[in-house]
Amino acid sequence: MSTASATTADLKPMPQGRSLMSDALARLKKDRLAILCTAIIVIYALIALAAQFGLIATPWDVVVGKAYQPPSFDSLPLCLGTDIFGRSVFYKVIHGTRIAMSVGLVASLISIPIGVFLGAIAGYFGGWIDELVVWFYTTLSSIPNIMLLVAITFALGKGLTAIYFALGSTAWIGLARVIRGEFIKHKNRDYVIAADSLGATHASRIFKHILPNVSHFVIINLSLQFVSAIKSEVILSFLGLGVQGQPSWGVMIDDAKLELSRGVWWQLAGATIGMFFVVLAFNILGDSLRDALDPKIK
Amino acid sequence: MFVHIVRKLIGVIPIIFGVALVIFILLNVVGGDPTYQMVGKHATVHQIEELRHEYGFDLPKPVQFVQYLKQIVTFDYGRSYATKQRISDMIVGGIGPTLTLAIPAFILTTFIALCIGLLVAYYRGKWIDKVTVVFCVFGMSLSSLAYILFGQYFFAYKLGWFPISGYESGMLERFQYVAMPILIWVIVSLGYDVRFFRTAILEETNQDYVRTARAKGLTEPRVFFKHVLKNSMVPIVTNIVIEIPLLILGSFLLESFFGIPGLGSITMDAIHNSDFPVIKAMTTLQSLLFIFGNLATDVIYTLVDPRVKLS
Amino acid sequence: MKTLNLRKLVSSLTLVALATGSVLIGSACTTKRADSGNTLNLVSTAKIKGIDPAHADDLYSGLEVGRVFEGLLQYSYLKRPYVLEPLLAESMPEMGADGKTYTIHLKKGVLFQDDKAFKATQGKGREMTAEDVVFTFKRLADPKLSSAGWWLIDGKIVGINEWHDAATKAGKADYAAAVEGLKVIDPHTVQIKLNQHSFQFLYTLAMPQAGIVPHEAVELYGDEFLNHPVGTGPFKLEDFNPASKISYVRNPTYRKEVFPSEGEAGDKEAGLLADAGKPLPFADRVVVQIITETQPQWLNFLQGKLDVSPIPKDNFAQAIVGQELSPELKAKNMKLHKMAQIEVTHTTFNMADPIVGKNRLLRQAISTAFDQTAYNETFYNGRAIEAQGPIPPGLAGYDPSFKNPYRQFNLAKAKELMSKAGYPEGKGLPVLEYLTLADSTSRQGTEFFERALAPLGIKLKVSTFSWPEFNAALKNKKGQMWSFAWGADYPDAENFLQLFYSKNMSPGPNDSNYSNPEFDRMYEKSLTMKDSPERTALYQSMVKVLVEDCPWIFDAHRLAFTLTQPWIKNYKPHDLDHGRSKYLRIDGSLKK
Repeated sequence: MSTASATTADLKPMPQGRSLMSDALARLKKDRLAILCTAIIVIYALIALAAQFGLIATPWDVVVGKAYQPPSFDSLPLCLGTDIFGRSVFYKVIHGTRIAMSVGLVASLISIPIGVFLGAIAGYFGGWIDELVVWFYTTLSSIPNIMLLVAITFALGKGLTAIYFALGSTAWIGLARVIRGEFIKHKNRDYVIAADSLGATHASRIFKHILPNVSHFVIINLSLQFVSAIKSEVILSFLGLGVQGQPSWGVMIDDAKLELSRGVWWQLAGATIGMFFVVLAFNILGDSLRDALDPKIK
Repeated sequence: MFVHIVRKLIGVIPIIFGVALVIFILLNVVGGDPTYQMVGKHATVHQIEELRHEYGFDLPKPVQFVQYLKQIVTFDYGRSYATKQRISDMIVGGIGPTLTLAIPAFILTTFIALCIGLLVAYYRGKWIDKVTVVFCVFGMSLSSLAYILFGQYFFAYKLGWFPISGYESGMLERFQYVAMPILIWVIVSLGYDVRFFRTAILEETNQDYVRTARAKGLTEPRVFFKHVLKNSMVPIVTNIVIEIPLLILGSFLLESFFGIPGLGSITMDAIHNSDFPVIKAMTTLQSLLFIFGNLATDVIYTLVDPRVKLS
Repeated sequence: MKTLNLRKLVSSLTLVALATGSVLIGSACTTKRADSGNTLNLVSTAKIKGIDPAHADDLYSGLEVGRVFEGLLQYSYLKRPYVLEPLLAESMPEMGADGKTYTIHLKKGVLFQDDKAFKATQGKGREMTAEDVVFTFKRLADPKLSSAGWWLIDGKIVGINEWHDAATKAGKADYAAAVEGLKVIDPHTVQIKLNQHSFQFLYTLAMPQAGIVPHEAVELYGDEFLNHPVGTGPFKLEDFNPASKISYVRNPTYRKEVFPSEGEAGDKEAGLLADAGKPLPFADRVVVQIITETQPQWLNFLQGKLDVSPIPKDNFAQAIVGQELSPELKAKNMKLHKMAQIEVTHTTFNMADPIVGKNRLLRQAISTAFDQTAYNETFYNGRAIEAQGPIPPGLAGYDPSFKNPYRQFNLAKAKELMSKAGYPEGKGLPVLEYLTLADSTSRQGTEFFERALAPLGIKLKVSTFSWPEFNAALKNKKGQMWSFAWGADYPDAENFLQLFYSKNMSPGPNDSNYSNPEFDRMYEKSLTMKDSPERTALYQSMVKVLVEDCPWIFDAHRLAFTLTQPWIKNYKPHDLDHGRSKYLRIDGSLKK
């Protein structure tokens, strides 16, 4: 259910006045739950970075015990038991974090520029450019997202790069739609017309004047996109189209599907818990961000 | 009005063309060559050529694309590589089981979510609101696979309350098989719906007219039920109506794990078997349903809502 | 009132949806038949390709085809090693003096199942004759069908390729046109003439693809024949939902076939001869559930909803303790059956590759470094025999005492071989490409392989493919190594040794693209020999050549463990299992 984009699209334009960002920040500071969620996300990000640079849980693919050893308190690597080769499930969860965060980040890095750019030029210029962009994203959004992802991974082959690209190339649609709507509203506002009369170029009007005023949608979108990226990675891996040769949460859950009936629950539990908190944090933070950035809902 | 509908219908054509083009490029141009998988283990070069010819893989891509457009129009997608069945028959056969699961599950979810949504929106900011929202987010953040594996093992096998898996096409027998999948569907999707309905209602709560109503001295229940609710129905109904054509997609995981022979499990199998014609047909079908579902919603809105202007 | 309208809209939309739903549901509705209790409840763990012999090249489709259709020959149910016996043939085919002509006498009075396709007899099934045999083989050669059985006769029967090519050219097969090698002598005698001397051809006659089909049904149902099978077999299709369930009823016009009265040693003691001489089939109905996920499959079996079940790999610990049934299942009186499968899993070296294909010592080193014992423990719960060569146990040519010098795990020796190969500790060796599939078992197997090669200093680049891409890569001789399995088409070592015959190179079944003139000569010679100690000796010397050249890492011959419910009688595992449900009897008194 892609309800998120529908809600943001319904938002009304901001009343001007005190800086939106500082206002929102002040509001967020009061929201203790949002601060907690931010902290959780920061911790996840730090874990991901540390794992990336080999500071913790390295190497993940060494044997630390017997195959399918249940969780025990003997040592840190064994705290979530071992997998089929006797590797530490805990280390795999840590590296799963690295992959999940990287999927979210790279997918966003690909999709946000596309979404902002296409949304902006469509909304700003209108005419045939607008029609082309709208046709393009209506086409893509008419294909069920999961089928589109499946088709792209079939076409690109398997692996992390394919996932980055598949998610990045589909996730921009919601953002483009919102940005386009905002640009249509903003382009006739006084401040833009004023800029025009001062001789600002199209590019400077788009990027220097209007964009800063609609950039909060990018932030809301970012948190939503992380959630959907992480979940999509799990589903693709479950369908056998996901990450290869690395311990992603999706791969772990896929493995666990078979292992569960022999009583090996810890791999499923580890991946699920790892995923649970970060998705939870992004979900709640996304809500708080929207509440904070949209003064209409209190 | 009629002109409006015709204009909308014409507007749909480039979208369908675009969808067809994207699907074709992904699955027929950059996707793998299916001949080698079909030819079997005892292949000869000669057989491979014959097979290519028989299935038309040796035709130029534009010709293949025209053939595909023809398939869309005639609803004849050829045969599955994996089951050799006619794909249109597979689709028709899958609709019944899919809807048996999807319709009750959808109605139940919507009804329950609407009730909870109203409750928490009315008590917004109170503890009951916060607890419910946290529960919803918790439910959303867990993998649905966990619910399925646990439900099947515990409720069906250990307690024997439901059949483990399977399907009967008898009018009443079928419901014992879909009971547990429906339950899981409701649990998994409740969180999204409640959150959405709550937000939709709250957005309305902050409109100017509500402030005016309050200022007039109307009691809170009166404001809420008389004004807020009535107007927040627009986005809520939109959301519900838009989801209806998507129901036919079915649920990949629920159908596969519970052996319900619907469109979801057909799609899942097709992905596992790299059964390109079926993947292509299912993707096309779902896209078309989405496009026409949207179109229908659009048209109906112009009929019932005077605020939506004909342009 | 705008909102009221909207509300009405929702409810009416819902009603419409519900109504559409129930109409669709109603149309698909069939009345449930009463379960007589004498029903076999089986499971298919994969989707099947319809019930048409022409498409039955995979195990699961073959099993379903075997319930409805019969071939001229079948494998003995009880005798081991596997031997052929007549089924629709009256006696074993007679070979002519030239060694190329088989004369086959058919049983008299064999009726096809009643079907509306038999218009001349108002739906009564007519007698099966020699014409039907000829029609069946021509049909396999029909290019329109792209039959999975074409390879069985391609280039083998005299004149069949000419017939096939004429059909390709004309765009339509002419079934009236004669094929020289398929001759009707009289209504109950058919003569098949081969291009070359072949003893293996007889096995073809027992394969599911060679089930005899009546032309009336093929003509009436056309492409939909696969959903309306009409054969001579013990069961008739009742209801077919390709996505979930297939049910059959006993064929009321089935001829008199009886349970065999001879078996191998121990069968009598096991109670397998108790039903000797009784008419077949025993069951009134057969219901096959199609369940692809292992959890529901296993739980349904434990609940008694399925009569026979393989043990999924991950339920092994629950089912088997040591090598025997767990106390939990023993208490339920379930029976465990073990069987060596006629198959070999292997890791292939692409001999067409300039690195691994040209360095025999490198291949030997990798083979020696791969710890099969550990692999079998991890992936098969020890349910596998470590392979020493390509020929699996149970076939003439398998030598249980033979030990492949490069399959005894020995890291020191492997390192030494690496040095001799010119890559001490892997130095100078480029990264090797390993092809694999994306499912979880392949993924874990790949990880195991990577770990096995690491001590030699060999690094792998893993390329993960979908099934069509994987096949395309192999058939185009790409990649350096990959894992594969070969299941027997028929129980003769020739079926395994042909995998190294240079004329069978990719896209044929010789996936390693191995080519050795000495081996080819021996293989060609073996084709002209009857099963004899001399041929077995020749097979063994061919294996020795392969072991030294090491085009494969010979991995394992897996064992199949099957469980049956206490009320299932006469079950004996068989690796060529199609057409055997007629032997199973349900003891109703043991079923609650």
